[in-house]
Amino acid sequence: MADIKIGAYICKGCGLQDRLDISQLEMTATRDGKAVFAKTHDMLCSQEGVDMIKADLQGGDDAAANRVMIAACSRRAKVEAFAFGNTPTIRANLREGVIWVRPDEDEHKETTQEMADDYIRMGCAEAKAQEPAEASAEQQLDKHILVVGGGYTGLTAAIEAEAAGYPVTIVEKAAQLGGMTAQLYKKIPSCSPYADPQDTGIDAMIKSVEDNANITVHLNSTLTRTSGAPGRFAADISTESGSTTTENFGAIVQASGQKLYDPSGLSQYAYSGNADVITNLEMEALAKAADGGPIKRPSDGKEVKSVAFVQNVGQCSDEEDQLSYHSGWGDVVAIKQAMYFKDLNGSDCDTTIMFDNLRTPGAGGEDFYRSGQRKGITFTKADITEVIAGNELEVKFKDQILDNDTSMQCDLVVLDVGTLPNSGPDPYAPAAEEDEVVVNVDSILNLDYRQGTDLPHLKHGFTDSHFICFPYETRRTGIYAAGPVRRPMDLAQARDDAAGAAMKAIQEAENAGKGMAAHPRVGDLSFPSFRKEGCTQCKRCTVECPFGAINEDEEGYPVYNESRCRRCGTCMGACPVRVISFKNYSVETVGQQIKNVDVPDEFDEKPRILVLACENDAYPALDMAAMNGTEITPWARVIPVRCLGSISLSWVTDSMNNGYDGVVLMGCRRDDDYQCHFVKGSAMAAERMSKVGDTLSTLNLEPERVVIHEVAITDIQRAPQLINDMAETVDKIGMSPFKF
Amino acid sequence: MTELNAAMVERYRSNFLKEVEANVEEGEWVKMCMQCGVCAGSCPLGNAWEHTPQKIFMMVRAGEREAVLNSDAMWMCTSCYNCIARCPRGLPITHIMHGLAHYAKRMGLAPKEQPTAKFAQLFWDNLVKKGRVNELKLGISLYFMNGFSEGIKTSLKMKDIGLGMLKTKRMSPMEMLGGHGVKDSAGFQKMLKKAQELEDKRISGSTD
Amino acid sequence: MTEIVATNETILVVGGGISGMTAALEAAETGKQVILVEKRAYVGGRISQLYKYFPKLCFPTCGLEINQRRSKMNPNLTILTMAEVTDISGEAGAYTASIKISPRYVNENCTGCGDCAKAVELEVSDDFNYGMNTHKAAYLPHKMAHPQRYVLDPAIIGTDDAEKAKAACKYNAVDLDMQEENIELKAGAVVWATGWQPYDANKIQPYGYDRMANVITNVEFERMMDPTGPTGGKLLRPSDGKEAKDVAFIQCAGSRDKNHLLHCSRICCMASLKQSTYVTEAWGDDASSTIYYIDIRAIDRFEDFYKKVQADENVKFIKSKVASIVENKENGNPTLHGVDTEGYHRYATEHELVVLAVGMQPSVDKDAFPIDITINEEGFIEPSSENGGVFAAGSASDALDVNRAVQHATGAALRAVQVVNRVARAEG
Repeated sequence: MADIKIGAYICKGCGLQDRLDISQLEMTATRDGKAVFAKTHDMLCSQEGVDMIKADLQGGDDAAANRVMIAACSRRAKVEAFAFGNTPTIRANLREGVIWVRPDEDEHKETTQEMADDYIRMGCAEAKAQEPAEASAEQQLDKHILVVGGGYTGLTAAIEAEAAGYPVTIVEKAAQLGGMTAQLYKKIPSCSPYADPQDTGIDAMIKSVEDNANITVHLNSTLTRTSGAPGRFAADISTESGSTTTENFGAIVQASGQKLYDPSGLSQYAYSGNADVITNLEMEALAKAADGGPIKRPSDGKEVKSVAFVQNVGQCSDEEDQLSYHSGWGDVVAIKQAMYFKDLNGSDCDTTIMFDNLRTPGAGGEDFYRSGQRKGITFTKADITEVIAGNELEVKFKDQILDNDTSMQCDLVVLDVGTLPNSGPDPYAPAAEEDEVVVNVDSILNLDYRQGTDLPHLKHGFTDSHFICFPYETRRTGIYAAGPVRRPMDLAQARDDAAGAAMKAIQEAENAGKGMAAHPRVGDLSFPSFRKEGCTQCKRCTVECPFGAINEDEEGYPVYNESRCRRCGTCMGACPVRVISFKNYSVETVGQQIKNVDVPDEFDEKPRILVLACENDAYPALDMAAMNGTEITPWARVIPVRCLGSISLSWVTDSMNNGYDGVVLMGCRRDDDYQCHFVKGSAMAAERMSKVGDTLSTLNLEPERVVIHEVAITDIQRAPQLINDMAETVDKIGMSPFKF
Repeated sequence: MTELNAAMVERYRSNFLKEVEANVEEGEWVKMCMQCGVCAGSCPLGNAWEHTPQKIFMMVRAGEREAVLNSDAMWMCTSCYNCIARCPRGLPITHIMHGLAHYAKRMGLAPKEQPTAKFAQLFWDNLVKKGRVNELKLGISLYFMNGFSEGIKTSLKMKDIGLGMLKTKRMSPMEMLGGHGVKDSAGFQKMLKKAQELEDKRISGSTD
Repeated sequence: MTEIVATNETILVVGGGISGMTAALEAAETGKQVILVEKRAYVGGRISQLYKYFPKLCFPTCGLEINQRRSKMNPNLTILTMAEVTDISGEAGAYTASIKISPRYVNENCTGCGDCAKAVELEVSDDFNYGMNTHKAAYLPHKMAHPQRYVLDPAIIGTDDAEKAKAACKYNAVDLDMQEENIELKAGAVVWATGWQPYDANKIQPYGYDRMANVITNVEFERMMDPTGPTGGKLLRPSDGKEAKDVAFIQCAGSRDKNHLLHCSRICCMASLKQSTYVTEAWGDDASSTIYYIDIRAIDRFEDFYKKVQADENVKFIKSKVASIVENKENGNPTLHGVDTEGYHRYATEHELVVLAVGMQPSVDKDAFPIDITINEEGFIEPSSENGGVFAAGSASDALDVNRAVQHATGAALRAVQVVNRVARAEG
């Protein structure tokens, strides 16, 4: 390998020249930072400046430089200009990080210059500690997509992925394709006009799948083992009869669907034992059975003349054993089913929908509501008290508009029950209490992963991510949930969702093929590796990886499964013996920055405060504060980190040992509504840091020297304040005695 | 209960909404109401109403036939059309209110002493005599609607306005003697009779 | 002159809001060449103007940062700002799009240093804050604007201010001679993601938005609560800067109404529930929020959030479409008139501030769409095989919340990828 040759490039633009001693910075870069040269430019981001850097990188091993240290603006600015392929490129933030946060006054010149000099030293140290990232040998392109579940969502995902040129295998547990949709008489309209129930189209979909040579279907089959990683998944597909085939896949779409809530336990609806009180799904069967003629009621075959739709049964409820959420489609489905009666039993058939808040959103929803009214469906805002069984059923309710208790008679009652996801067991389900009744759920994927067999649940058993902006994120890379297993949804939404999940699956198959990370670090070729001789097989990394990427070998050493890794560095932060690293991010890349900050001795009265800031939220917040000209103490040295979860405790203890006076950690929110895109990083850092106080005590240091804060990207006033607060704390408790 | 009313009750049994749809002007719109209440809030006389239009629509759906037809609510409408202008569903609310009032009257269920109902009757009686409204007679019959002494009182109260109108020739005392009418009075009566027949047939024949 | 390389394997994404960015990034991260055309001077669209997202109450700029970083890092994606598609001809696999690029008067030399803004004197309406304040006529649209490049308002072109801006720039970034450009691009598939606009509240006359300072819209309220917004994140009412502790939210302001928008805009219920938490957050137990609604449409798991807000004693719900608003001239309070339909109770209630939950008007011009496409009564693009290789994404297809829009846009990206992959196979 070629020697490390750091080219230091110092920009003089944007006022840097006016505020800083550029020649001193050059000297710092070469003398302290060991850069092979330092060059300056009036406007480094200009074509000329960029070309200058590029020229230095030409020539392979003989190139003038093979590491680039750019001292200019924030790493968030001019990213496109300063892109030099695989060459490690470090940004020392002199604009947003120094001159914009310090007053332009002579008395501050010295400390401002010190800040800038330190960032140059840190930049060079980081450049030195980085290696060019290269894809691992593990990479493999496999365009084959596995779709688990052959219902509407699974079929759509298969058809859509195949249409993009990717072969698909569908594994379906049942003896036929079509899932719950095949049980429907008709569907809610999914295209204009949103006026009448529409054909589900499921038969045509099944046929197109069966006729497609690039789509393989396994019926009566389940996955008995899924191992590997994106690009090299191996799935054992087993039939009921016991035969098993193993196939390889690039990525997986899990479309395992939903089941509906069982209202048997809710005595007020008289569902149990009364054939004429049925669920919305049973209503579909009834309509199907009518075969185009009038719908007859189950008990005696009498043609239905009046029907009540009781909405929100066992859902939107605070009661135990009921669903606290809503299906989203319950009211639209009731309108559709009431239309069945208007269409099949005649417009004289009385149909009443007893709703609470009528949820018919969007353009199609509201159109369909109006169409239902036009057809003569009666809508009553009602609080249902009970359903009384009998030859003629009675529904007792409070009319919320007329504010009175009343009742209606009808031939049939249809209960709007909600949906539950068909997800596998949650790998992170809390251990059951001793006397708790545990319902065992069959695994869907049977993942051969250290952290459980299936996709983690978020809430209520749904396997979605927690991210509004990135709905397809799951905590198992390359496995994308689609359809009502992910969140409650109707067919139109499932259609889009299946396409979206298929998109993510083919994307991940492609990126895994190139050895690139998945979201949110697409393009990153680095991957974690560990020094085996140092590893104590403590298993913290394998347990704490938020994506379940790491398995253990027979001796208990970690097995990284690179393409399952999201490059957050949580394993790095977990490792007590510091053996895990990425080529472009490691204990060293940050540790060396910390070590290379110049810590003045105690009598200079210039404290040093280390700020480790989440690169996605706290760091941009500081940048924006800088744009506002908000002052930050000149003692602060800010280092962006991928995630607070990647913070090695050694960075904190080393900085203390090196004489820093305070450490401020800034991560994102960590409660139930956590925001970390690496899931638990911030929470884990908080837990790990909770023990740091003990360490400080053993060093005879005050615990308040190390603080951890939740900082949001909008905290543009608060983030600088938190740093300045530490300066005040240091002022109060005094300088660290650990300065040399 | 009038005979017609009894027949309608029998015909529509529990389904008042259908009765309204079939027999009340613009009644087929009632089902389109989504209970937002903007008509009720927009009505300038809303606070004088026993039931607002939105509530009446709900009562119709709930089958509260007596309560709706006995109500004086729809008699309060002054045809300002605010409700129609505001209704997000485009319901011709003013027309439905008049339609319901008219239907209640036909069924003999309109409140007996309701002033606008009484005035409406006076207006009708006055109009059908000659095909034109005799304003003087209409005014006087309105004043005496609630008895002789009330009539005298109201007349005295209004005398300045009356005299003023006479002076500016906005009213002729000669109208008292019969007043003017349409040219073809017989034709007019024939037309009314035919209209009544059609209306009767529509109502009684709606389920034939 | 803007030079772009585009082929029949290129995907053209129209609109750089959350849907357009998502479609563009998902396709680009799958290795496709993507050109994203955005009308504004920056990407991110309406989400960049939101303070928080429901139901997590997290910050949209957090996800925006990720998306902007994704786009900065991705060489497959080209972003054209201040650009609009004026015409599309051709068919799936072989489109030609005409694009009009308006002059920014600042070229890519801009370092974002801000010297031009310091030099310029004229203040113009700040569109990012819906005109609630002004900013310099040389400006960065917002703190996170990507590209991080200043813009000159056309109002100063030809004036001394423009010359001052030019003189202040050390990097030759201010180009006062910049002209409107019209370019043509090839594309195999088009993703149409032009999003939505807040319904014009002036059209709802009885609510007096045009007459009463203390009647504002929900999108303005978002800006008001944002620390970078016109009040620095303080809940102060416009008329007198007084702290607004008693806030009313009027639902379906323009939605579900044949006189305005026929459709339900889906997001406004959740938006008002969310905004009621702002009021509580600002004033604690002194806060009072009243939500006037027809139906609270908390779809699927948003129900949890609805319950959370219902549990807040400082938030009241009244099932009523407010009839009219009259200003109390003495204290500037808007008085709401209407009827609580649950049991029929008339009210005339004063509040300190009224927020109109205005609906989503699709930004799809039915009469001047650049290519023949299926558009429904409400103005949304229908999923139709007749649309060829043009695919709607996000709120161009229906009134969608952010999560649904992203979901939809990811699917739209796949459909575009299908077309260009077919082209690639055909071209070998």
